[in-house]
Amino acid sequence: MRTFWILVRYEWRHFRAAKGLVLLTGLVLLVGLYGIYYGTTEIERQRQHLATLPTLAHHNVEELKKKFPGPADAGDIGYYHTTFAVHHPTEWASLALGQRDVNPYYVKLRLLGLQGQLYASENVNPTKVLSGNFDLAFVLVYLFPLLIIALSFNLLSSEKEQGILVLLLAQPVRPGVVVAAKLTLRLLLVLGLALLLSAVAVAWARVPLDGRVGVWVALVVLYCLFWFGVVAIVTALQRNSAFNAVALVGAWLVLVVLLPGLLNVYVDATRPVPQGLELTIKQREEIHGGWDKPKSETMNRFFALYPQWRDTATIRERFVWRWYYAFQHLGDESVRPLVAAYTDGLRQRFALVERLAWVSPAVNAQVSLAALAGTDLPTHLAFQQSATRYHDALRAFYYPYLFRKVAFTHDDYAKEPTHTFTSTSELGTATSGLWKLLVSVGVVWATGLLLLQVRPLNPR
Amino acid sequence: MTYILEAKELRKQYPNKLALRGLNLQIEPGEVFCLLGQNGAGKSTTINLFLGFVQPTAGAAYINGVEVASNPLKIKQYLAYIPENVMLYAHLTGVENLALFSSLAGFRYSEKELLEYLANAGLPAEAVRRRVGTYSKGMRQKVGIAIAVAKHAKVLLLDEPTSGLDPKASNEFSELLRRLSQQGTAVLMATHDLFRAKEVGTRVGIMREGELVDVRPTATLNANELEQLYLTYMQ
Repeated sequence: MRTFWILVRYEWRHFRAAKGLVLLTGLVLLVGLYGIYYGTTEIERQRQHLATLPTLAHHNVEELKKKFPGPADAGDIGYYHTTFAVHHPTEWASLALGQRDVNPYYVKLRLLGLQGQLYASENVNPTKVLSGNFDLAFVLVYLFPLLIIALSFNLLSSEKEQGILVLLLAQPVRPGVVVAAKLTLRLLLVLGLALLLSAVAVAWARVPLDGRVGVWVALVVLYCLFWFGVVAIVTALQRNSAFNAVALVGAWLVLVVLLPGLLNVYVDATRPVPQGLELTIKQREEIHGGWDKPKSETMNRFFALYPQWRDTATIRERFVWRWYYAFQHLGDESVRPLVAAYTDGLRQRFALVERLAWVSPAVNAQVSLAALAGTDLPTHLAFQQSATRYHDALRAFYYPYLFRKVAFTHDDYAKEPTHTFTSTSELGTATSGLWKLLVSVGVVWATGLLLLQVRPLNPR
Repeated sequence: MTYILEAKELRKQYPNKLALRGLNLQIEPGEVFCLLGQNGAGKSTTINLFLGFVQPTAGAAYINGVEVASNPLKIKQYLAYIPENVMLYAHLTGVENLALFSSLAGFRYSEKELLEYLANAGLPAEAVRRRVGTYSKGMRQKVGIAIAVAKHAKVLLLDEPTSGLDPKASNEFSELLRRLSQQGTAVLMATHDLFRAKEVGTRVGIMREGELVDVRPTATLNANELEQLYLTYMQ
C-alpha cells in the first residue's frame, strides 16, 4: 500500500506539471459552473414566468368584470376567460433540464376544445432547440468522458514511449499497482470535480438533501467509473498513445453520439406515433364542421356522452353557447383514439429507450438524470394528463351554468377550479438506470482487468 | 555454490525469431561479466529475462537463487538496472527523481543522503535541483547510477550503459563499477565497447545468434587478443 500511495502522490505532481491538463480540468470546471448557471437561470426564468400567470388570469377576470358588469351568460365568460394549467419544476430540474425546453411548461386554457390548446405553445428558436440545453447533466454525460480521455489516453503509453517505464518496473513494484495508482489519481480528480460541481448545483438550486442526492451521486460516480473502465481496456491493449487516443475518442463517438442517434432512428421506426399536426387538423375539421351539422345531431351525440343534460330545452335559436361548447367537445372526442395512440406511442417509445438504454451508458445516464429531475417524457405526459383533467373540471364547472341557463355572476369567478402540477422524481426509472450502469461498469472493468491479467505489462 | 546470477538452459522464442538458444551462465558476487556481440545476438534479451520483463520459453533465470519468472517482484529487490538511455521524469529535479525511485525500492533517504548519492555518481552540485528536462544524456545516466547505487542492489544489470557518454564520463562509470564490484556487487553488462569490457570486466562472454559461444577471463587476454577473438566469432 505504501508504494501505491507514493505513486499516487507523484502522479499528482506529474498532473500539476502538465499545464495543458491543468488548464483543461480548469476549463471543464468553468464549463460545469456555466452549466449550473444556465440550468438554474433557465428554471428560475420558468418559475418567474409561471409566477406571473395568476396575475395575468386576475387581469383577465378584471377585464371580464368590466366587459360584463352584471350577471352574464356563462358561455361568454367561458369563451373569453383564460386560465392556465401550470407545470412547476422540482428543484432538481436546474441540474437536468431534460425536456422542459422542448415541451410547454404551462398551457393557456379556455372552455374551447382541449386538443387544439394542449399543443399550442410559444414559438421558440428552432436552432436553440437543435443545439439543446447546456445544463450540468449535459456537462457530466457528454463532456466528462472527454476529460477522462484527455487525462488517461496515455496512462502507461506516455512513460513507455519516454522510456521511463523500464526504470519504474525495474523497481520492486507490481505493474498492476502502477496502473492502479495512475487510475486512482485520475479517478479522484474526475470524481472530485464531478462531485464538487454536483455539490455547487445542489446548493445553488436549493435541492433538498434527501435520498435522491445519493442516487444522483451514484449515477455520476458509476458513469465516470464506466469511462475509466473503457480506459482500462484500451490501456490493457498496450498500444501507443496515438492508437489509444483514437480508440477512446472513437468509443466516445460511438457511445455518446452514434448509438444514441441510431437508437433514436430505431425507436422512431419501430414505434411510429401519429403526427401531432394530423391530430390538430382532424380536431379542427371536426369543430369547424360542427357549424354546418344539424344542431339536433350534434346535441344527440353530446347527450349520449352526457345524458345528465338530455332534459335541457331543444335548441331552436341560431346560436346558443351550449351547442357551441358541445361541438367543441365533440371535436376532442373525435380525435380521442388518435390522442390515445399518440400518448401511448410516446410512452412505448420511452419504454423502448429505457429498455435499450444499456447499449449506451450515455443514454442511460441521460435518461436516469432527467427522470431524477422530473424533466423526462413521462413527467410531461403526466402534466398533459393533469391538464386534461383540469379541462374536464372546467367543463364540469361551466356546464350547469350553460345547460341550466344560470347567470354567471362576479362571485362565480372565485369558484372556478384552478390548476397546479409539480413534477416528481421518477425514482423507478432512475434506480433502474443505476442498476444498468452498474452492470456496464462491471462488464468494462472485468474486461479491462482480465486483459491486464492475460497481457503482462511490457515496459519496452 | 550459490551463484548470484544464473541462467539454466534459458531459451526465448519470439514469434519470428529464436532470440536465445539455451543459455547457461553463472556469475559470482563481485564479478563483472560483460556480454559482447552484435545487435540481435541476444544480449538485451538476456538482460530482459533477468529483469523479468519477458518470460522465457524454456529454462530459467535465477537471481540470488530465486527464480525470476515466478518471483518477479522479489528479484527486483536484489537488482538494479541502468538502460542504454536513462529516461527520468523531466519535470522533476535530479534529487526528486532519485527520491521517487529510492522510495519505490523501499529506501527513505534524507535530502543530505540523496545529495551525497548524486555527488558520488558525479552529478554536478549545481544540477541536482534543476529539472531533469534540462539534463544531458550523461547527466541523466549519472542520476540512473545514483538510483542503482542507492538501492544497494546485489546485482547490477547494464544494457549498453556507456553508449553515448563522453570518454571522461565513461571512465568515471568504469571507476564506479570497480568500486561496486569490490563491495561484492555482481554486474552483468551488455556492451559493444570492447575496451570498456576489457577494462572493467572480470569475464567476457561472446554471444552470436542467441548462443554464448565463448567465455574468457579478461585477465587472460590483452585488448588486441580480445578484439581478434571477437572478430573471429563475428565473421
